Amino acid sequence: MKGIPTVLITVSPEVSAQMRPPRALYPKGFKIGNSLGRPGMRELQRRVLRDALGLLTQNTRPGETITIEYPEYGEQYEPPRVKKPGT
Amino acid sequence: MTISRKCVPFTPFERELSKSTIALVTAGGVHLRNQEPFNIADELGDLGYREIPPDVDSSQLMVTHHHYEHTDADQDINVVFPIDVLRDLETEGFIGGIAKKHIGYMGYTMQLKAMYEGTAREIANDIDKGSRADAVVLTGG
Repeated sequence: MKGIPTVLITVSPEVSAQMRPPRALYPKGFKIGNSLGRPGMRELQRRVLRDALGLLTQNTRPGETITIEYPEYGEQYEPPRVKKPGT
Repeated sequence: MTISRKCVPFTPFERELSKSTIALVTAGGVHLRNQEPFNIADELGDLGYREIPPDVDSSQLMVTHHHYEHTDADQDINVVFPIDVLRDLETEGFIGGIAKKHIGYMGYTMQLKAMYEGTAREIANDIDKGSRADAVVLTGG
């Protein structure tokens, strides 16, 4: 097995980064359970998926998470944070 | 071979998207309605995974996962498992095709080592050998 290219869509970028994904897209402000957007927002869902797949062909740094804003998503949410030791 | 804890296991993508076949793997607890649901009664989590065929009717997919709010996915599974969206991108020629196999598993587990060294490797092997995918899109809940 020589490996297979992957791209992650994450709404918890700090948490996901702990697993060192090779490529990742964070659609800024999307809540957990809305990785591609809200129900029925098909054009937004297509944009997010095109952007994620596009990272495969871009010269991203291994382990880098790319943040993209999608204003049409509407209300924004804070992603969960990783608890630092002693906090 | 043991991979360094600091290493990012990066596989280059050296194809054109418009000629590439794409698979979906989700940790969002997605499965077919007629498949065994994930075991949410076990506090340790469920280490299994479910294969989802490429021609699945998205109305036949559901979520069993008790560690995220999935009412939006219950309305439109594409918010965590974008199979209809992938079909749109195939129709418009953005990608070449849809892989022969897709995977749903329940990302929550207290058995991290077994998930990382067991389930994740089984899924990778399954996708590598059985899906003919050139690349994989991963989603969480």
